[in-house]
Amino acid sequence: MLETLEELLPEILKATGETLLMMGICLSAALVLGGALGLLVFLTSRGQALERYRAFNLLANGVINVVRSFPFIILLVAISPFTRVVAGTSIGPLAASVPLSIAAIFYFARLIEQTLRDVPRGVIEAAEAMGASPLQIVRHVLLVEARSGLVLAVTVLAVSFLSYSAVAGVVGGGGIGDLAIRYGYYRFQTDVMLITIVLLVALVQSIQFLGQWLARRVDKR
Amino acid sequence: MSRTSKPLPASPAIELRGVSRRFTDPGGQSVGVQPTSLAVPAGEIHGIIGFSGAGKSTLLRLVNLLERPDAGEVIVHGQDLTRLSAPALRQARHRIGMIFQHFNLLHNLTVAENVALPMRLSGEPAARIRERVAACLDFVGLAAKADVHPGRLSGGQKQRVAIARALAPEPHVLLADEPTSALDPRTTLDLLGVLADANRRFGVTILLVSHEMEVIRRLCHRVSVMEGGQIVEQLDIADGRIPEGSRLGGWLAEFGGAAGGASSAPIEPAPHHLAQESAHA
Repeated sequence: MLETLEELLPEILKATGETLLMMGICLSAALVLGGALGLLVFLTSRGQALERYRAFNLLANGVINVVRSFPFIILLVAISPFTRVVAGTSIGPLAASVPLSIAAIFYFARLIEQTLRDVPRGVIEAAEAMGASPLQIVRHVLLVEARSGLVLAVTVLAVSFLSYSAVAGVVGGGGIGDLAIRYGYYRFQTDVMLITIVLLVALVQSIQFLGQWLARRVDKR
Repeated sequence: MSRTSKPLPASPAIELRGVSRRFTDPGGQSVGVQPTSLAVPAGEIHGIIGFSGAGKSTLLRLVNLLERPDAGEVIVHGQDLTRLSAPALRQARHRIGMIFQHFNLLHNLTVAENVALPMRLSGEPAARIRERVAACLDFVGLAAKADVHPGRLSGGQKQRVAIARALAPEPHVLLADEPTSALDPRTTLDLLGVLADANRRFGVTILLVSHEMEVIRRLCHRVSVMEGGQIVEQLDIADGRIPEGSRLGGWLAEFGGAAGGASSAPIEPAPHHLAQESAHA
């Protein structure tokens, strides 16, 4: 097994780099775009500051549900023409990042919307009574009171998409999961399978540990 | 908590003119506020009492437009809030403090940060915020807790923080929505003392909703009695007496201290209540 490890080390390093690249792109897209979308969906829901834009709320909710209905591998193939336009190619880790980002944006939007619902209505109302604008409510109330939940939402997102990124192999995206499938699964190299799985387990544990530690640290409730 | 400082009737600090707000409750019953008018002179502590569902909280929330009236005018310090643009309304709200039954503090902020929040929202300079936070925490007796998070305070202390937060921007008007209903009788008395003090020292007009007769009687100069979404009686109780033959007097005889049916634990009566306490026994 050590021999295999040595032999495969360059492959493993390359795969790890590809995984980190895909994760970096899709998590960034999710944080920025998915976060904003989730926030808007929350703010336009009943009883919130931008309730008057209910039409947006209904539309966005519908779109989020539709995108989240797609099994990821089907989404990956279905949007490949779009991927080609955005990434210039439909194969490789950069191309795989496009469907990963799309899925992550809508997944994270839903997570954020649900996390924000945990902020007590009364606290938001108190801020409204103080004369807070919708933007100030977001910055001074929602992001403050929900911050540990938001950290945990990012943690769940990261763990889920580490797993999703394994499917990227279908379009030559590479990554650790793809390595496991190509060597471990198709070639029956159980030792490679084990190495990659140990690597993935270690990654997931680290993400989860870091997320929970940070969430606890910022939670003063 | 003496009531010798009854204010002279000036132009009203709060004036509701024919306001109404209708909701339909899950049972299909129409509830809310019927067309109602109310004028509270500057410097007065005005109570609103009534049973659950009488519309008293809704009436209070109409004053800062947390609840928008279906009709009528809401005039606070000469300004009709219903005609203001959203930014102008936010500006007006900076001078209307509010406290709540469940305090509604931000639990991830320290006590001092909570008190500073309304002033940060209105963009006050940092030095001024520091000065007001210190003064207000001192006023409510919690200067020592400035850097603690609210999760570590008792209910009474949380409400004191909420009062400091409401007073920090030097409001003309303080709205209090069942401020003592989550607190025990002794803590309730302490808090009523703080509110009376705020009224006396800063001249802030207080409009307070409660279902507890004792709270109204000890604190308020005048009281409006609500039933079925309307004010059905208005009494001067500045001397702590509730006139016999009034609806409120009838309730007191029937339910003791609480209008909501919950029995209030006996509270040590303040001296000037003694005579009439026995009259209603």
